[in-house]
Amino acid sequence: MAAYIAKRIVFIALVLVAVSMLVFAITTLLPANVAYLILGPFASPEQVRALELKLGLTDPVWQQYLRWAGHFLSGDLGESTLMNRPIAPLLMEALSRSLVLTSVSFVLIAVIGVGLGVVAALRHGRALDHGVSIATYLGIAVPEFFWAIVVIVIFAAWLGWLPASGYEPLSAGILIWAKHLIAPTITLVFGHLAHVSRLTRSSMIEVMQSPYVTAARAKGLPERVVVLRHALRNALLPTITVLALDFGRLMGGIVVVETIFAYPGLGRLVVFSIQNRDIPTLQAAILVVAAIYAFANLVADLLYAVLNPKIRFGRNAS
Amino acid sequence: MPPEETAPRPEPRKPLSLQLKAGLAITGAIVLLGLLAPWIAPHPWDTISMRTRFLAPNATYWFGTDEYGRDVLSRLLMGARLSLAMGLSATAVSLAIGVPIGLLAGYFRGWVDEVLMRGADVLMAVPPIMLGLLVLAVTPPALWKTALAVGFVYIPQIARLARSVTLSLANEDFIQAAKARAESTSYILFREILPNAWPALIVEASLRVTYAILLGSALSFLGLGAQPPSSDWGLMISEARSFLDRAPWIALAPGLAMCLLVIGINLLGDGARERLDPRLRSRAGKA
Amino acid sequence: MRKLPTLIAAVIGLSLSLAQAETCQAQSILRVALGTTLSQTDPAKTTIGDEYVYVHLVFNGLSRIDPDMTVKPDLAESWTASDDLKTWTFILRQGVKFHHGRVLDADDVVATMKRILDPATGSRARTSLSMVDNVSAVDAQRVKFDLNIPYAGFADIFADRQLRIAPKDKLGELSTHPIGTGPFMFKSWSPGDRLELVKNPDYFEKGLPKLDGVTLRIVPESAARMAALQSGAVDIVWSMPYESVEKFKNHPDVRTDGVSTPTWDGVILNNDRPPFNDVRVRQALALTIDKGAIVELALFGQGDPTFSPIPPSHPYFNKSLKFNPPDIAKAKKLLSDAGFPNGFDVPMQVPQEREQRVRVGVAVRDMARAAGIRINIERVPFASYTANVAGKAQMYVDGYFARPTVDTAIHPFYHSQGSWNKQLWLYKDARVDQLLDDARKTNDEASRKAIFEKFQAIVEETVPGIIAYSAAHVNGVSRKVEGFKSTPMQWLELKSVSLKP
Repeated sequence: MAAYIAKRIVFIALVLVAVSMLVFAITTLLPANVAYLILGPFASPEQVRALELKLGLTDPVWQQYLRWAGHFLSGDLGESTLMNRPIAPLLMEALSRSLVLTSVSFVLIAVIGVGLGVVAALRHGRALDHGVSIATYLGIAVPEFFWAIVVIVIFAAWLGWLPASGYEPLSAGILIWAKHLIAPTITLVFGHLAHVSRLTRSSMIEVMQSPYVTAARAKGLPERVVVLRHALRNALLPTITVLALDFGRLMGGIVVVETIFAYPGLGRLVVFSIQNRDIPTLQAAILVVAAIYAFANLVADLLYAVLNPKIRFGRNAS
Repeated sequence: MPPEETAPRPEPRKPLSLQLKAGLAITGAIVLLGLLAPWIAPHPWDTISMRTRFLAPNATYWFGTDEYGRDVLSRLLMGARLSLAMGLSATAVSLAIGVPIGLLAGYFRGWVDEVLMRGADVLMAVPPIMLGLLVLAVTPPALWKTALAVGFVYIPQIARLARSVTLSLANEDFIQAAKARAESTSYILFREILPNAWPALIVEASLRVTYAILLGSALSFLGLGAQPPSSDWGLMISEARSFLDRAPWIALAPGLAMCLLVIGINLLGDGARERLDPRLRSRAGKA
Repeated sequence: MRKLPTLIAAVIGLSLSLAQAETCQAQSILRVALGTTLSQTDPAKTTIGDEYVYVHLVFNGLSRIDPDMTVKPDLAESWTASDDLKTWTFILRQGVKFHHGRVLDADDVVATMKRILDPATGSRARTSLSMVDNVSAVDAQRVKFDLNIPYAGFADIFADRQLRIAPKDKLGELSTHPIGTGPFMFKSWSPGDRLELVKNPDYFEKGLPKLDGVTLRIVPESAARMAALQSGAVDIVWSMPYESVEKFKNHPDVRTDGVSTPTWDGVILNNDRPPFNDVRVRQALALTIDKGAIVELALFGQGDPTFSPIPPSHPYFNKSLKFNPPDIAKAKKLLSDAGFPNGFDVPMQVPQEREQRVRVGVAVRDMARAAGIRINIERVPFASYTANVAGKAQMYVDGYFARPTVDTAIHPFYHSQGSWNKQLWLYKDARVDQLLDDARKTNDEASRKAIFEKFQAIVEETVPGIIAYSAAHVNGVSRKVEGFKSTPMQWLELKSVSLKP
């Protein structure tokens, strides 16, 4: 098991290296080099060249990459070329805020999604099942940006219950902090419930029909125990995998949600740095996102292995 | 996720499930409307008309008009073609590149498999929307480029699926027989394995179409897809944001349309999968 | 276990009281919502309106422009010019303190100016000082500028945003810890989220500012901005979206405060590249445009059609020129004379983050179609405008903020040697050059008016670009805010503003 984990971690590190190279390669193709952006429209070609030399932009790409990689590994994430401030604190702040948002959303997706799936499974074929299906379908069928706008219009503009955007730190008070989280969280959660609830539902249905459950029932155990202790535990297997993958999917969802709700997190930082050609910030931000994504997948695989004895010792099940 | 097993041939003459029927009806209707849009659209979709701005839905303009006085319904219909085209072309790109990669990886195993799958892992390491943003930032935006980018972003998932299907098929008797006959690799891949892999791939592809539509519209929403005055649904919603309080129909119509389309395709895909793989059908027996 | 509910109650109670305490302390902090995040806190490098709001609160210039558009002394209490208008001496106010405690002296001004003049700084204001040969400190209180041409309105230039004075010992930290002399001091900046300013207790205008602080919050989504204003989460929405103005006309808690400005938007045509290097093609395009309709579509009526950066409200506006209705037949004839009997296709860039300019682009595209000019719109992020679009693209939509004077609004843009001209339409007309040079040499109002009226007529005839309108500037203001008046310069005058409790 330990060997498996170690192997996977090494693998993740390699993937991250590859991602950083990929991003670097793509950014060299970006039109509008940043020297021009810094110096403005009246810069003469000589000035642009001078700044390019200073920023090291005239070196061959692989050299620039190695220089950047060297700094990165020694902890120096560099400076945002646009804002002239160090990236590391910027990134940490953005990361912590995004983690708060995604963690809260994740917990809600897990709890509500599984709950809905179980309920739908127990009443499958009937009205409640269809109801849950439709509601969750709506969540994934309509793009997140649409829900975000609807939430703003209904809850912020019309009803005035929720603030329309932004972020308040915990220091401003727990209630205020929570209030600002609600709208983006609702949007994220609603958009991802369906995967979890549908999978829970179908695996619950399967498990409820299995001999294992029939036996438990035959033993005379109360239905509630049968459902919760016996059926659910087995049904959760595939769901847990999906859940962990969903954490990664949330990282994608935050791009749009943070943009619309002006939530100053990682997603917004990525969009901002792409639009403004702030390459060092972009590199750092994407690597962080990729790392989280990769670890989410690793956790998913590990959970699956732990919970499913068949593949515990690294043998590929599929 | 466990691979779809190739299905035994479906039993003949089974009636279509409700799910499948609904999916076909909805998707079919939207496709039809989209195809016929230039002819059935009641008003021009991109002509500015100062006198008819911000009209609420009424008898002449069923879904109202927008900030330029253009008929929302006509724009919606024209936008259907764009969404469908985005979904289909992006998926086609993913399939065209992903399937051969998966086939090769699953058939040859060994280092070919390793290299291809690690490459896929790298592409999958970044959330699709960020990869899309990055790729599209290098060039002036246009809808066809967005379709290519979306297709590119989803290659790894298709490749993985094709690979699992190939893996499960590779040991089947008919493959061994073909090998024994010393058939060429491309024959085995494309004439033996692929025809049996299609059902699972098609079902997955149909769901991919919905992802492509959603990702494409998100990129359009962020400004990297269709350009004004195009009536791509994502762009329509983005432009309608400023007017939500005075003219919510401008945003609601494309939002609901997209919802309907995605649900329709989902039902279609799920229905097809249930039909092809009887294991997944619920006991309640929606035959 | 039993203690848990009590614990929870205590936590809730504590945070509620903390929230209460926060509001008691922070009583007079004005919250402003801006639409775009600030990339720069260094005044010399700022480029967008949202950044200018911050600059005006934290920094002063040698002179300033009041909301009635008159130039007054600011850090310089007076100035004199030599008879040939080539040597200017500014006498600084005594005892003005920077936010870090040190008193302002002439060396600070010289250092700030030299830095702006240095091309490596990359300040947009460098070209505003292109006539300056040398700047030096005569003594601790006096700064001397030597110009290479006579320039009548030299003192007016210093009211502009990027020319504000920073301390010589803190010039390198302006991007992280900006220090100025303004009514408010920089406290913190969380990029993408908010910038916090606090009252400057030693501000040189006694009794000001009245507020304890100002918080600039970044809210890109316009619906969210307006929702925040309605719910009272912010007190001012800077430059509120035009489409929302009507809704707030009679709102109980919020009022709209608007003012017409010289800020303009237009379609920039590259006079150096085909097809618009031919004046007939430019005139043809102009003949398809209905400026009144564009004002409706882009600004929802909050603006006026104009011929040049000189707005209709300005005394120099040429009232004898007419806004003619579109003449498609004539446009088509001009095009065919120019060699385009079947029209032509051309791409047009519009800035992604400026909705009203996108709308100008869509409107122009629709109007130009009638004559056969088929425009293909491309939305480009503002950031790449500078590098790829400005001065290079065949046609694009852009706009510029109000400048302190007519000369600074016109000369750099229309004179063939003008600095902005090369980044814009590359326009060359000898008559215009002559007129603009003459205007600089005289201080006589009547002759200047005549000169600029002639200028507008020529520009209307030769169409370097199509200036659609002068836009109004409208702020959404909570009724709790007292003493606020919008300014045509489009920054926020907050030093005399106070909040009702």
